[in-house]
Amino acid sequence: MNSLPPLLQVFLYGLLTALATGLGAVPFAFVRAISPRALAYANALASGLMLGASFGLLSEGAEFGRVATLVGANLGVLFVLAAGRLLGDHDLQFGAIRGEDARKMALIVLVMTVHSVAEGVAIGTAFAGGTTLAIVITAAIAVHNIPEGLAISAVLRPRGASLAACAGWSIVSSLPQPLLAVPSYLFVESFQSVLPYGIGFAAGAMVFMVLVELLPDAFETGRRSVIALLVSIAMVAMVLFQQAL
Amino acid sequence: MEPILVVLAFSTLSAFMAPIGVLPLRTRQAVPSAWIGWANSLAAGFMLGTAYLLAETALVGHPVRAAIGGLLGIGYAYLSHLASGVGDVDLNRLEDVDPLYGYRILFVGGLHGAMEGLAIGLAMLESLPFGILVALALAVHNIPEAAVLGSVLRSAGLGVSRTAGLAVAANVGQVLFAVVAFAVVPAIPGLLPWALGFAAGGLTYLVLSELLPEAYDRAGPVSIGLVTSVATGFVVLLGGLAG
Repeated sequence: MNSLPPLLQVFLYGLLTALATGLGAVPFAFVRAISPRALAYANALASGLMLGASFGLLSEGAEFGRVATLVGANLGVLFVLAAGRLLGDHDLQFGAIRGEDARKMALIVLVMTVHSVAEGVAIGTAFAGGTTLAIVITAAIAVHNIPEGLAISAVLRPRGASLAACAGWSIVSSLPQPLLAVPSYLFVESFQSVLPYGIGFAAGAMVFMVLVELLPDAFETGRRSVIALLVSIAMVAMVLFQQAL
Repeated sequence: MEPILVVLAFSTLSAFMAPIGVLPLRTRQAVPSAWIGWANSLAAGFMLGTAYLLAETALVGHPVRAAIGGLLGIGYAYLSHLASGVGDVDLNRLEDVDPLYGYRILFVGGLHGAMEGLAIGLAMLESLPFGILVALALAVHNIPEAAVLGSVLRSAGLGVSRTAGLAVAANVGQVLFAVVAFAVVPAIPGLLPWALGFAAGGLTYLVLSELLPEAYDRAGPVSIGLVTSVATGFVVLLGGLAG
């Protein structure tokens, strides 16, 4: 890719990370019938992965500034609150699915899409700092997108979305990465100053989505102890995974 | 003041927050059960924030040890629930209380106290301001716990002052664990990241298995989600100042 113009390179690397998200749907190729209890556990899995991802974001944001990160996080909470209300007001249709399930599906795709914005900015600013390091960072983002696709699929698949739809929406949720990598590569300084807010926003949105949508659902049908176990183990795994990258 | 006395003082102070939960009994006003839900979700947020700070500290330099410690903490909390049969106790009940429920609440409280005391002691090892923050953040949890315990004791015919005293006594394990953790952990080389991970994992598991589920039923997901996430952020922010 090195012979391509730099802007196109940044875009293509961003696109690669987006495509990696689609791989998160793969485990669901092997899971067929999904009972209400399995749905609860899928919710718990998604919750743990999202909480773990938020942990990584918060500690990254803290390096830039805790206050800015926390301001962003509170905005993220408000965003999910408002989006959840708005989506609830419309009779939503998600593929062939309607009603409460469709609302939840749309919300997770929306939240994960918004959260990718910060990752796109991270890719762009990394390239502005030099290609070698940027490729390492991009590879890291691509790999950690896979469990994010898993989280999305864990919400979509048990509610009736096809495997292709799971992969497709996972990729869509990461499209802000190539799209925002380019402008943030060009205007690196102005983007860098808003990065902690963006990182906080992403973390706040994910944590609140977990607390207000995924966990209450999970607790309704699943066993408390199993849910707590799944969420906390998935969280530890995600945190360790991100540390290793 | 000697550092270990700071640990003793603040873990004791945390235990003495419990009688606040008994106060409504004095005015004989019924506390709406949504309040207990909110108090528990506030405590949940403070605990999650504490777990975040402990894990952040543990991960520096020792991510694998911290993660294994985390899994051990989760496993310990899970198994102690399983073994004692208190995994599904509703921690928000103020009505229909019977002595058996009271015993179960006491056991659950003891389990929490151990994990909370450990967290306070370990945080104090990191720095005293950090430890004080953790002691105060975890103290909040003692309030709704005491409110529930208090209504059990009152229905058994105990006076308010004795109820308040017993609510403090129920948290003594926390003081013991804080002081012991502070004294023993540094004596064993390399134990700290494991122990920090253990406390972070254990607290997270307790929040998920005990505090949140019933709180959702009492006050609804939106208010519980808001209180928990804002409280988490608040502790994370203060942790940056204290660390």
